[in-house]
Amino acid sequence: MTRASASAGSAVYEVEALTKLYPGQTAAANDRMTFRVERGEIFGLLGANGAGKTTLVRQLANLLAPTSGAIRLFGRPLTCTPLYTPGLIGYMPQSGYAMNMVTVAETLYFTAHLRGLSRRDARRERDALIERLNLGALRDRVVPRLSGGQRRLVLLATALAASPPVLILDEPTNDLDPQHRRLVWDTVRAANRERGAAVILVTHNVVEAEQVIERVGIIQRGRLIAVGRPGQLKANLNHQLRLEILFDPARPPDLPAAAQPRELGPGRWFLLLDRAAGPDYVAALAGNPAVEDFRLSTATLEDLYLALAEPLPNGQTPEAQRVP
Amino acid sequence: MNSAASKLPFQPFLVQLADLTLLQLTNWRWSWRGLLLTGILAPTFTILALGTFAADSGPLALGFVLTGNLVISLLFSTMGQVSSHFAFMRNVGRLEFFATLPVYRSALVLATLAAFFALSLPSTIATLIIGMIVLQVPVAISPWVLVVVPLISLRLSGLGTLLGLIGRTPEEVSSLNMLTTFVLAGLGPVVIPAENLPPFMSVIGLVSPATYAASALRQVILGWPDRLPLVLDLAVLAALTVGLLWLVERRLDWRVT
Repeated sequence: MTRASASAGSAVYEVEALTKLYPGQTAAANDRMTFRVERGEIFGLLGANGAGKTTLVRQLANLLAPTSGAIRLFGRPLTCTPLYTPGLIGYMPQSGYAMNMVTVAETLYFTAHLRGLSRRDARRERDALIERLNLGALRDRVVPRLSGGQRRLVLLATALAASPPVLILDEPTNDLDPQHRRLVWDTVRAANRERGAAVILVTHNVVEAEQVIERVGIIQRGRLIAVGRPGQLKANLNHQLRLEILFDPARPPDLPAAAQPRELGPGRWFLLLDRAAGPDYVAALAGNPAVEDFRLSTATLEDLYLALAEPLPNGQTPEAQRVP
Repeated sequence: MNSAASKLPFQPFLVQLADLTLLQLTNWRWSWRGLLLTGILAPTFTILALGTFAADSGPLALGFVLTGNLVISLLFSTMGQVSSHFAFMRNVGRLEFFATLPVYRSALVLATLAAFFALSLPSTIATLIIGMIVLQVPVAISPWVLVVVPLISLRLSGLGTLLGLIGRTPEEVSSLNMLTTFVLAGLGPVVIPAENLPPFMSVIGLVSPATYAASALRQVILGWPDRLPLVLDLAVLAALTVGLLWLVERRLDWRVT
């Protein structure tokens, strides 16, 4: 079997009742998670800090042993042979850096060569990745001496080296400015479309990630509470509009008593409105001197995440939703 | 090996070993200061200090000071550096990075040991030359030195790897490393002749690998016959090396439980 034939089945990952309980802890970091990642798709994992996303992807990368449950990669257990999983994945960790006092060019060359490319192809791959991620100026600098954002780009390039059929990217846009975040999303999309890679993506940058994610899993306190296509999952919120209000933090505007805004930051609220109430609200805000600006849009993946992550009014947590 | 994985695109073992050794050799970019300080300066000062005391005790004592300090130099430059390196790799996620590459653990371990052996050679040679000049000990270097020194270095690096993997933090590894260095250097006839040691230390020294390293070095560098024949030293060092590498291979399960 080669990489191509290894990728021939429809499921890249099949995860069944995956549970991870760290020693000395009583709550599972991952609790009976079951889902699939299909070939060629970009699968996003959303969740609050500590929800269990990194624990999950570290198990998918075979860096962490599950307490119970099973993970199959292209139909085989991750540990079927020592080099099976590392031969198929490119992993970008949330932090750290790949190699020690090695330059950017050396890191990419050796990674590509160790992933099976010939020396000549590894050099070509190195040069292509350096160009793709605008790393030319950093080419001969040792990685630990780069800034946090530059290291993230090098880690992404390292994960992409030699085009592994599966990419696992943990917070790929952390520490990056908007321009580089866009570059990362473009690169992820290109890896998926041009190289055919399945991508598993952990991110907090929900609004930006929505542009690339094809299916999403939402994790709350170690449990997968929803899995599906963003549009389908958002169907429940389609009767609502998202209203974001910007104002001087020292002078918050008065809103109708029924409105329950959620604070996004100093001087920034957002609330979900019934579609029917939208025009009246907009009219009221337009004449409110305390409101500096406002944006009205349909509900986003972030709203869905917040809606699912928040306890329901009756105190219950949402039951898992599964949309194919 | 499973046929499916064997056809996945990864490099043969020797190519992995060559790449990883080159990668690990780049550690000279940070380790040269440590090698200079602990691999050359520390043994040099010990040679000067002990040489002054041993000057009146005759060539036997001076020979022990010279070869004993070579062992100390190797302890610092191989065991110490390798243990720090593995602790560091674990701490910053480098071991995890290698775990996500299609490389064998044994290739990584051997590459690290080979690289740090190469990095330790300048300090070992410098210690020998400085010792010869300062102590005025006549040397008769045997070709067997080409077997003995790498074997000692491999064994100590293997021990360093194990320490680097056992300790929970770099600080703990550093303490373990210091303790091991002093125990190995002080236990048995390494720097001080057996005749000048309390009898119980000579006996305990028989279980210390440094005793066999120092004995082998006396025979291949000074040309002295020893209580322990060279073949026994080599056998013990080789057995310990194999045992340590086996332990390291088992211990280096980079999949955390």
